[in-house]
Amino acid sequence: MITRRQALIGGAATSVALQAPALLAQPREVVIGVIFPMSGPSAQIGRDARFALETALEIVNGQYDFDLPTARHAGLPGLGNAKVRLVFADHQGDPQKGRAEAERLITQERVCAIVGAYHSSVAATASVSCERYATPLVIGDSTSPNLTRRNLKFFFRTTAHDEMFSVAMFDFLDAQRAAGKQIKSIALFHEDTIFGTDSSNVQRQLAKARGYNVTADVKYRANTPSLTSEVQQLKNADPDVLLPSSYTTDAILLVRTMAELGYKPKNILAQAAGFADQAVFDAVGDKLGGMISRASFAIDMAAQRPTIGRVNDMFKARANRDLNDNTARQFMALIVLVDAINRAKSTEGAAIRDALAATDIPGAQTIMPWAGCKFDKDGQNATANPVLIQYVNKQWVTIFPAGSAVRGPIWPMNG
Amino acid sequence: MQIESLLQVFASGLLMGLLYALIAVGLSLIFGLMNVVNFAHGEFLMVAMYAVYSLWVVTLLDPVLLAPVATAFLFGVGAFAYMGVVRFAMRAKSNVSMVQIFATFGLAIFIQGVAQYFFTPDYRSITDTWLGGKTISIGGLFLPAPQLIGGLISIVLFIGLYLLMSRTDFGKALEATREDQGAVALVGINRNKVFALGWGLGAALVGAAGAVLAIFYYIYPQVGGPFALIAYVVVALGGFGSIFGALAAGIIVGLVEAFTAVLIPPSMKTIAVYSLYLAVVFIRPNGLFGRL
Amino acid sequence: MNETMTMAAASAAPTQRAAGARRAQLPILALVCAVTALLPLVMQDVYLQNVLILTLMYAALSQSWNILAGYCGQISLGHALYFGVGAYAASFLFAGYGITPWLGLLVGAVLSAGLALVLGYVCFGLKGHYFAIATMVIAEIGLLLVHNSELFGAALGIHWPLGADSWSSMQFARTKLPYIYLALALFVLTWLATYAIEGSRWGFWWRAIKDDPEAAESLGVEVFRSKMAAAAVSAFFTAAGGAFYAAYVAYVDPESVMSFRFSLLFALPAVLGGIGTLWGPAVGALILIPITELTRSYVGGSGSGLDLIIYGGLIMIVALVKPEGLLSLVRPGGAKA
Repeated sequence: MITRRQALIGGAATSVALQAPALLAQPREVVIGVIFPMSGPSAQIGRDARFALETALEIVNGQYDFDLPTARHAGLPGLGNAKVRLVFADHQGDPQKGRAEAERLITQERVCAIVGAYHSSVAATASVSCERYATPLVIGDSTSPNLTRRNLKFFFRTTAHDEMFSVAMFDFLDAQRAAGKQIKSIALFHEDTIFGTDSSNVQRQLAKARGYNVTADVKYRANTPSLTSEVQQLKNADPDVLLPSSYTTDAILLVRTMAELGYKPKNILAQAAGFADQAVFDAVGDKLGGMISRASFAIDMAAQRPTIGRVNDMFKARANRDLNDNTARQFMALIVLVDAINRAKSTEGAAIRDALAATDIPGAQTIMPWAGCKFDKDGQNATANPVLIQYVNKQWVTIFPAGSAVRGPIWPMNG
Repeated sequence: MQIESLLQVFASGLLMGLLYALIAVGLSLIFGLMNVVNFAHGEFLMVAMYAVYSLWVVTLLDPVLLAPVATAFLFGVGAFAYMGVVRFAMRAKSNVSMVQIFATFGLAIFIQGVAQYFFTPDYRSITDTWLGGKTISIGGLFLPAPQLIGGLISIVLFIGLYLLMSRTDFGKALEATREDQGAVALVGINRNKVFALGWGLGAALVGAAGAVLAIFYYIYPQVGGPFALIAYVVVALGGFGSIFGALAAGIIVGLVEAFTAVLIPPSMKTIAVYSLYLAVVFIRPNGLFGRL
Repeated sequence: MNETMTMAAASAAPTQRAAGARRAQLPILALVCAVTALLPLVMQDVYLQNVLILTLMYAALSQSWNILAGYCGQISLGHALYFGVGAYAASFLFAGYGITPWLGLLVGAVLSAGLALVLGYVCFGLKGHYFAIATMVIAEIGLLLVHNSELFGAALGIHWPLGADSWSSMQFARTKLPYIYLALALFVLTWLATYAIEGSRWGFWWRAIKDDPEAAESLGVEVFRSKMAAAAVSAFFTAAGGAFYAAYVAYVDPESVMSFRFSLLFALPAVLGGIGTLWGPAVGALILIPITELTRSYVGGSGSGLDLIIYGGLIMIVALVKPEGLLSLVRPGGAKA
């Protein structure tokens, strides 16, 4: 309860600051809420997200010669160099808790906007609360396509969603086929969660529309103790391309089980998630040479954009690992939000919302392969072009689309 | 599906089943001894996996060599859980079983928190082991070395457990305490000591399972949950308190799960295991081999 | 028939003696209602109001569980099933057909009661832990079926459409007051149902069954029918709670309303406060829910796991220090089993 009292005093202080005469005006700090799973089965995601956001915070509040919005000023110049403060909250992957935490951040901590949320289910409930309190919610890494189809005014998503990702994956397959490679059959391997369902639904449709034969469609229970029978089905089907949509735990088990059962997929084209997590490559990287994943982030672009490498170094100093698909997107979500607050010159929800809607950050000022960040009327960043990356000699190499590719793919993956 | 594939599914299911049995038998033992369902059983498994992992990181010895250490460590954890927690929960004058569920549930969350605190929620794996990634292939049938050794360890421990319970004084003391807690005090058996040893033994068995699992599985603070759920069903299916029942039920569950996953969408494979449990207890209300 | 008469006669005397003590409970309930109803006027913080709503809801749900487990002695670890049925009935009817959640709540509650009768019919032959595991397993089957059912949105769940505030849709954008009163009403109803049952012939039978089913049977208690009735009442109120929860969160998916976790969460407050007592679930919820919420909110953000250590540690301490439940602190022998 002491904490609660302190929180109230803190809240009172902030509101006093906000109500102070316009001349003294500028709030000394901008408070932004953060909701991620910090405990429970997905706690690892929240922990890494914390490192990513603290890296972004350091850049925003400090002075760095990075090609990122607000990086070159200490604090936010639009708000009298006000510093940003983050308040982290834990939703444990539970939609009810996510919503309650969003409300707490808005009403108690007086945050002016929220970043989150990883789980699409939590993004869905938290976004409703944010809408009701006219507080912008910027989603960096929840990819269920439906989230941006609910006519919400205060909801913004910087990342591509599962449909955009899957389209890129099939564009790549089409390109390979056009280049004369044999790709007739594919197999879908997906978990039974929102992520796996959304991902596989789109992939199934695309396969049908573009003439790929789905020879196995395996839906498995996330975190199941054993995947042997599931893998046996993949082995029997032996498709030209295996498309897994799995998180870290199941990705590790899948790859190990495939090796144990003597199944070597001809090609793997993954919907990132677990296959973008270093933990998987630490465990079974030796078996994944040549696999391809869709991605929002390509670390080899650091050669062209030095900022990427320097941000990665700062992140690595905290987290002891490279930026990946999740952490890079979480990082960018905060940068995009802070840029909007800076332009809004205000911590009012409506003003930030309008500034977010007017966001137009060129791709070169992000750490992503995006064409840029520009929201459509639903709050979806329609210019968040995904890329495909291939795991070669323990390095990720961008191979698609042509504009971003460092070199062509190795196909089939085993050479 | 061809015969080869079916044989493979059978072999995989059998090996997994032996492991399920080993995970479950500790639970069954503790239950048989004192009628307690330990809700922290999955966390014992997780602690064993972290124990092997940390020893591996520090000593770089192979997990096979570290398994006995982890097993011994878990013996201590189990005995401590009894002396520090369960013993007190048993003082309840009414609804003892609910109070124990409550206490062990608290213990489970506590252990998860401690694991997250010390190991972070990162997913850990043990790599480059003697057994990891090795597979024995016989005529198109693939038998992964870790699971194969795990299955053998499981069988050996079951035989050992049977001998321990039927041939030693300790086993007889356990048996006597199970049958009449009041009477054993009269013949000079210290009830708390027997219970603590029973808990230690139960935890040590799940510790051995965790050590094997650590070779080919991932490790994180919530890893025990899905295994614990299966262990409860295995114990109940085999009959609470029955060692042989746990073995038989573990194998059955492993096989049913493996074969169901090729017949219906694998996301629903455990429905078959659950349905089997219901079918069995409706016919035999004390499980397959239960005496209680 | 004769034996039943004897039973009734035997039960009459203690009932009359206890009647005074029993009636003294009603003013306590009135006081609790008054305090709870007025509390939001002082406590305007929406986060704390959210904690209050969850506390009332879990008090009601735990009371529902208590009806079957505490009074009738049938330990269920599968009440998440009934909770899910209620939540899904209300969501499915409202989001799909625009049918008011009030009706959805009723439909879910009646469905659940029916389901409990069917499941009770097949399960009540089982004893002790075999029964508990059977309830758990059935709830898990239910979870998996919903998880794989396109009709109910499978993993994607069901979103409640956004609309204007109204009592008919149970949707209120910012104010939490209506939810507080709804949760309070749910609690009061389950409490009154428990109260009424406790004083009735049924309550007497249930306690007899709990103490010794064989003896009860020989005394002419209709054991099977009693268990069935308890299961139906318990499931009815649990589903009502589920419908309320769905309306409150405005979203359901299988994991967030049907996971095994919920089955335990309904049992814990009753065990903590005193199982088989009128006030145990409320007292348990009053302690457990704020601890759960506050540790997560104010410690959990660090991601260090400290919130779990505190939460799990407190549960253990309570179980160790007062295994009969906290009510036994205030009323020696109050946790009558």
